[in-house]
Amino acid sequence: MSDLWGRVDALLSGAERPSRYIDREWGAVHRPDAAYRVALMYPDTYEVGMANQALQVLADRLATLADVACERVFVPWVDMAAALREAGVPLFTLESCLPVSECDLLGITLPHELAYTNILGALDLAGIPLRAADRGEADPLVIGGGPAAHNPEPIAPFFDAILIGDGEEAVLELVAAHRSARRAGVGREEIVRSLARVEGVYVPSLYGAGPGGRLVASAGAPERVKRRVVRDLNEFESPACPVVPYADVVHDRATVEVLRGCSRGCRFCQAGMVYRPVRERSSDSIVRDAVAALTCTGHEEISLTSLSTADHSQLADVLRRLARRLEGTGIAVSVPSLRVDSFTLSLARLLGGGRKSGLTFAPEAGSQRLRDAINKNITEDELLATVRAAFGAGWRRLKLYFMLGLPTETDEDVAEIGHLVARVLAAAKEVTPPRERGGIRIAVSVSTFVPKAHTPFQWEGQLPLSGVRHRQAVLREAMPGKGVELSWHDAETSFLEAALARGGREMADVIERAWRSGAGFDAWTEHFSLTRWRAAFEAAGIDAETAAEAPFAEDAVLPWSHIDSGLAPAFLLAERRRAYGAETTADCTFGDCTGCGVCPSLSADLVLAGERRG
Amino acid sequence: MAEGFRLRVCHRKTGRLRYLSHLELVRACERAARRAHLPYAVSQGFTPRMRIAFGPALPVGTAGEREYFDLLLTRYIPADEVCASLTAVTAYDLAPLSCSYVSGREPSLAAALTIACYDLDVKGGIPPEDLRHALDALLRAGTLSTEHKGKTKVFDLAAALPKEPEVRSSEDHTTVRLTVRMGEQGSLRPDVLVRTALGHDVPATVTRTDLLIDDKGVWRRPL
Repeated sequence: MSDLWGRVDALLSGAERPSRYIDREWGAVHRPDAAYRVALMYPDTYEVGMANQALQVLADRLATLADVACERVFVPWVDMAAALREAGVPLFTLESCLPVSECDLLGITLPHELAYTNILGALDLAGIPLRAADRGEADPLVIGGGPAAHNPEPIAPFFDAILIGDGEEAVLELVAAHRSARRAGVGREEIVRSLARVEGVYVPSLYGAGPGGRLVASAGAPERVKRRVVRDLNEFESPACPVVPYADVVHDRATVEVLRGCSRGCRFCQAGMVYRPVRERSSDSIVRDAVAALTCTGHEEISLTSLSTADHSQLADVLRRLARRLEGTGIAVSVPSLRVDSFTLSLARLLGGGRKSGLTFAPEAGSQRLRDAINKNITEDELLATVRAAFGAGWRRLKLYFMLGLPTETDEDVAEIGHLVARVLAAAKEVTPPRERGGIRIAVSVSTFVPKAHTPFQWEGQLPLSGVRHRQAVLREAMPGKGVELSWHDAETSFLEAALARGGREMADVIERAWRSGAGFDAWTEHFSLTRWRAAFEAAGIDAETAAEAPFAEDAVLPWSHIDSGLAPAFLLAERRRAYGAETTADCTFGDCTGCGVCPSLSADLVLAGERRG
Repeated sequence: MAEGFRLRVCHRKTGRLRYLSHLELVRACERAARRAHLPYAVSQGFTPRMRIAFGPALPVGTAGEREYFDLLLTRYIPADEVCASLTAVTAYDLAPLSCSYVSGREPSLAAALTIACYDLDVKGGIPPEDLRHALDALLRAGTLSTEHKGKTKVFDLAAALPKEPEVRSSEDHTTVRLTVRMGEQGSLRPDVLVRTALGHDVPATVTRTDLLIDDKGVWRRPL
């Protein structure tokens, strides 16, 4: 084991924010004598990666194995990466300051497409061959997992294995499979083959091109890889003692995941499709784990996270109990991802007990017709009523998310966003005392629709960039001039996201070429260059526009056809048809089964802590 | 700070944790106080904050052997008990060294601590005589001007350095011991002083070894 600290230390006085690299935070676990080492990497900076709950959960699970060390790895910022390269210091883990290449397993989160070049940069800095095919016996197993794994093809050649779905159980099984294959004395090829026997694990090297563009599994690998699902979250305690960062990280707070999955059924939303079924944690375990995490970390805020926290059937009970426990401590409870239709005045009052942070809602579309088409089941009256309730209860800041380029969208739908925002502003003013109206802040954030795998819109192409710019102009024209801050998610990065998200294995060449020509930190606007990416597409012989914008035929073999998310293809197609007819579909947690297919296909079921009231 | 029990904590900031920024240090100490379940006082208002106040900030990368903060408690707990509970939940390199209650009427640490002592370990084999000569020459010149974020500060060295710098050397490194008076325009940074004296950058580790109150010419520790 080589400790690189002395060489890293020598570079820190010149580094931006050196606390990113020093370890020694409260809660960091050091196991110098471990027999097996896992490096868990988030492919972005410390500040972004430390906010990732999945890494905390996986580290917590790995910590149950007494002779296994789990060490964190983040991507050094541009200045430090250059300093490390110049000094010949490889990418290191935080806890032992050990070269990542000396670990047994390197687990990498796949958060979104814009992180792909960072993965290559990190592998290269670690001295690990970029492509699985070029790795030898001494190299760590490189295993991915996370949201972007649901279309693994664009990055498949860089990974020895990719986990599709929940990791709580699979991470331990992967380590066990690796260790047992090693004990059996078999070589890398056999080791990787053994990973394919773990439920939910996709081993790209075992799949080759077959007739009609379909990927065909070789012997011993499943024809389609079924997404891994944890049946009941209550079986896993939320991490009680996660690492407490010194640096000011994104979402710097303790967290408890209160539920997983969301079946509201927004047709553009990949998370709402691929994390089904809804599994709520019981209020007892939420309160217990929240208090445990606050006690152990000393954080000043606890966040109750999920895709849609206000949908939790026992949320009011949880908030009341937490408020009692935290009285007089100055500790705040926050609830991200509120839905307009589940935000109520009583919820507003319960949250108002602590600090009033801003509220965020995502109507996504301006007109009722388009909201129906995307199955965002909220009406304008509900939105306005919610705004009145919130501003009446003292909130002064509101953020609204919208999307441009949704299937079936017209210029009129986009102009409606502006009109809707004007009515929201008027409603907010109406219930705010005149002398406080100056404090009203309404921020409108607009992104571009990116069609994603395993959604009813997976066959759609993206609206071309010129069309996006036109719609942006339409929206700018229709927005109220005063009292609203309008911001855009960069349309060019969304274009790249679409091209990568809809791609197959051929996309790996594009990604590697882009990285070799200097791409990295693509999610950071100041580092993103579409020109560089276009050159990479061209050099790889792939038309970027076609990749992002050409729709798939409904009977086409999609690049992710071999990944079984549990959703019945007939359900996705039916949902697409209903979208075109502006017909909505209800949420199964409030009523009848909608036939998405996940429960029977993955032998899972809804887990509700109580009755949900719509 | 009033209406409560004002506890003064002396702690170290050493080793790797010398790389913490002042804001990071503040947050780390607040979180330690919460982990220790201390009955800390919370400010009134929209965003309640812990009532905690720090001495003069250390630059990122500079270690401190005796740093201070004052924490207001709503309930009296024997100081050594507070110290023990804080120690149990604090990283070694930020650990408290001693704790004691002080009067609510005493001026704040930031105002009271005006004398700082530093050890600057110079690496790279600069002969101690060269350092001594360079520092002497700079002191004779009388002033030092620095540039920080576009602002120029001019330090009167006779006022800023109430004691003669000492240069000591051992086998592998040379140490400059400095005593600096912190004034209205801030504190003269020891690395800047040495860099200016030598006319070039030198690799060095800097440690603030002590912070003192100047009580009408008598220097004493705040605890």
